Amino acid sequence: MSSAAQDISALVARARSLDKAAIAQLVTIFEDRRPAARELRAQVQTELEREPKQSPSVLIGITGSPGSGKSSLVARLAPTLLELDPELSLAVLAVDPSSTLSGGALLGDRTRMQESREQPRLYFRSQASDLELGGLGPHSFQVCRLLASLFDAVILETVGVGQSEADVQHLADRVYLVLSPLAGDEIQLLKAGIIEIPHAFIMNKCDEPTADRAHLQLRSSLWLARPFDAEKVPIYRTSARTGDGVPELAQALLETIRTTSGTTLTERTPYFFERWVREEWGRHGVEFLERECKGARQYLACHGGIDLAQLEFAADFIAFIGRGARRPQ
Amino acid sequence: MNTRPLPHQIQDASGDVVRDRPWIFRTYAGHSSARASNQLFRSNLEQGQTGLSIAFDLPTQCGYDSDDPIARPEVGKVGVPINSLDDFHVLFEGIPLEKMNTSMTINGTAMWLLALYVALARERGVSIDQLAGTTQNDLVKEYLARGTYIFPPQESLRIIAEMYEYCLDEIPKWNASNICSYHLQEAGATPVQELAFALANAVSLLDLLQARGRFDHEQFERAVGRISFFVNAGIRFVEEMCKMRAFSELWNEITRDRYGVQNERFRRFRYGVQVNSLGLTEGQPENNAWRILIETLGITLSRNARCRALQLPAWNEALSLPRPWDQQWSLRLQQILAYETDLLEYPDLFDGSPVVQSKVAELKQIARAEIERILELGGVIPAIESGYMKSALVKSMSERMSAINDGAQIVVGVNRWTEGLPSPLLAGDDGGVFKADPAAASETLENLARTRKARDPERVKRSLEQLKEAARKGTPMFEASVECALARVTTGEWANALREVFGEYRPPTGIDGQRLSLGGDRVEQLRARIASLTDTLGHRPRILVGKPGLDGHSNGAEVIAVSARHVGFDVIYSGIRLTADAIVRAAVEEDVDLIGASVLSGSHVELAHQIMTGLESSGAKGRIRVVFGGIIPKQDAEKLIQLGVDRIFTPSDYELMDIMESIVDVIEAAHA
Repeated sequence: MSSAAQDISALVARARSLDKAAIAQLVTIFEDRRPAARELRAQVQTELEREPKQSPSVLIGITGSPGSGKSSLVARLAPTLLELDPELSLAVLAVDPSSTLSGGALLGDRTRMQESREQPRLYFRSQASDLELGGLGPHSFQVCRLLASLFDAVILETVGVGQSEADVQHLADRVYLVLSPLAGDEIQLLKAGIIEIPHAFIMNKCDEPTADRAHLQLRSSLWLARPFDAEKVPIYRTSARTGDGVPELAQALLETIRTTSGTTLTERTPYFFERWVREEWGRHGVEFLERECKGARQYLACHGGIDLAQLEFAADFIAFIGRGARRPQ
Repeated sequence: MNTRPLPHQIQDASGDVVRDRPWIFRTYAGHSSARASNQLFRSNLEQGQTGLSIAFDLPTQCGYDSDDPIARPEVGKVGVPINSLDDFHVLFEGIPLEKMNTSMTINGTAMWLLALYVALARERGVSIDQLAGTTQNDLVKEYLARGTYIFPPQESLRIIAEMYEYCLDEIPKWNASNICSYHLQEAGATPVQELAFALANAVSLLDLLQARGRFDHEQFERAVGRISFFVNAGIRFVEEMCKMRAFSELWNEITRDRYGVQNERFRRFRYGVQVNSLGLTEGQPENNAWRILIETLGITLSRNARCRALQLPAWNEALSLPRPWDQQWSLRLQQILAYETDLLEYPDLFDGSPVVQSKVAELKQIARAEIERILELGGVIPAIESGYMKSALVKSMSERMSAINDGAQIVVGVNRWTEGLPSPLLAGDDGGVFKADPAAASETLENLARTRKARDPERVKRSLEQLKEAARKGTPMFEASVECALARVTTGEWANALREVFGEYRPPTGIDGQRLSLGGDRVEQLRARIASLTDTLGHRPRILVGKPGLDGHSNGAEVIAVSARHVGFDVIYSGIRLTADAIVRAAVEEDVDLIGASVLSGSHVELAHQIMTGLESSGAKGRIRVVFGGIIPKQDAEKLIQLGVDRIFTPSDYELMDIMESIVDVIEAAHA
């Protein structure tokens, strides 16, 4: 084994025992945008697959508009989950938007998360959406797949601005939309495409006087938008300020974590691979993937995972274009 | 001789032409230990000071015992540490309480410190209706600027209200709280924001007292009369004078129209001042003496808007905590102005001036609109919880920094006329700065241990249970606190008991949605460098900005965080009141490239040591770089460098883009 491979192997071993420094360094590798990092990720993946987790991790997406109080809610929720289930290990990935002007981002969610003492079963990481319009960043999938192979559950917290809810559903096993009763009109305006996605709604700031009205509004919107399951969609009421309703929500989440069989990596990857192909190689890249390579699922299966598939795809596609260029008229 | 005085004369009740009595001279003082501070107070009183203004250290202000891990680096740094009634006995030894006017800069633990004062009076046999003074006890500006809050806003306001209800008849000469706009100006507030935020704060407090219904109208009028203010005065001294006149007029109107206060005496705007420290510079610090003098004129020249009490900063406050001599020099300024000049012989100099009248009218009009806006939001508490007020302040501060950076606002010795001869004031053996006595903390810790050992544990337990029960039931907590004081409960125990019931508060940071208006080549160059650094690292450079320790002046750190995002860093803002340990943990979990720690409390050496040790034990030393910002004397800067800190920024590094460039340098060098 080379020394780099030994390093990776040691890092993964430490990460398995939830050593935060090791996990943090692995996350950095999974966010690394240099092409060479793909090879490192493939190595990490191989190491991880040597001893896979007993049951797949459950990925919970928590999304909501800025000001809905989702960061404060997650800050309350995470310790409550750990308290209620003394075995659970949990990672939180909080995604915040980057400035379109400078590319930089202010990641302030951690201020709400402050724990006075070390919590060994909880890992919290901030991530910038990196020039995507809120929602998921290009690295969110990468980091989630890493965290999912280390923790029992992963909470992915994102700003909801339309498109991102659609992205989240491809990554998360369960999607929760946080709403604030102060944004009553916003509830009426929930676009049909969005209101259909969440598995449950969380009406935060339920100590506000307008909470009851907002709750009713949401119910009736659900009747219109999702007539077939409107009754079954849970609406939780919480207050991140007082903590009201948080234990109930946590209890329900734990139940979900216990009963949901997390989607395996193989099922999640094709969507994000195709998305990557579109971003890197455009419409022609996607056409090539569909027509010549029999689609993302097949291509991934042939190449042994996303890291190697990404490494190979460039060469394959460029070769294909080259052949096309040489083709006689 | 009962003749009419000439327009330039002042007449007393018996018709004699007289001079006004001067305002109360104070010096904000306290450091090291109860014993050392007692000596300082006594010497200040001998120097002609006429009231006490006590500075407490941060653990006392934030409700921690001196031996708490988060408190240890801060003990005795910015004020006197008080752990129990035993410390109060030492602090006031030889000082007659019944003759003192004592002002305490204390907020989150104000009820506790007043309880200690009352308990001290009882043990000395002094009747408490003779006590006079002020507990600052304004939590609004703590949430917005100063950071020594403990409990959530509703509970904090309840504590303040209970203190008004207790003091009104029991300690009638005590100001239960002091509406402070001082700290808002330090945090960047414009004169209009200062007016509006302070008055909206006072209105919200009076609304609460009225809603609680413990006072009949006669009592309520007297309670209105107990409301006093603590304001700031900046270098634009004409505008500041107009601001003070606007304050008086608006307060008179509000108390009359909103609350129907009949007695004119209770509508009078009573205020104390500390003049501005924000504008004091580290470079050419001798210039600060003139700034302090000019700022003093703003709040003394106009008789109708003259302060009741005044404390001045010292010329070297941007360098370190002041030494006793520095404070004496500032006190002399007050004495010369009050006793040598003819200022106190005249009625108001500005009545009838169309210029002043128009300026005052303008300030009042804009302030009124802003007050309305805050009241529409539901008062100051919703305006804080929604982040509205904080964002407004961070915005003003960013604009101020932008204006100094691009030269639109001239600061002599900082962005103009920067070349000067070396200052002889800095030439002494001590370099012109205060040196804390490192042994002082150990004396405090020994006293604390002795108190814990000597007390009756049953009485301690019982009194704390009573306090918690009162807190839970909503019954008054003051008497229970006095019993805690007599039982030798400690500051940390008192605060923890209430933390258990009320919880601890974390306010919005005000950095959300903030942006700098700075542009130009330097910003573009930095963005380009960060883009290429991103290619080198494989990720956008990530930095963590936070404040270790108990010092809550977060605005500097927030401006740095906003600037760093502006040039393209990913910035994790970790907020205030963190142990060095928690900062290290956050930095390691986020795998940042650099930690930027901001410390204004003077405990930078201890905190730097703790951070570097923490990084070492998590195997991250070297990989995660560290820079420090704050009021850090030169000698200490060297110590920090030896500990492994890469760069130190002080108030002379006002140029934001220089700081950003320096941070990029550090990260680049680490990966070269």
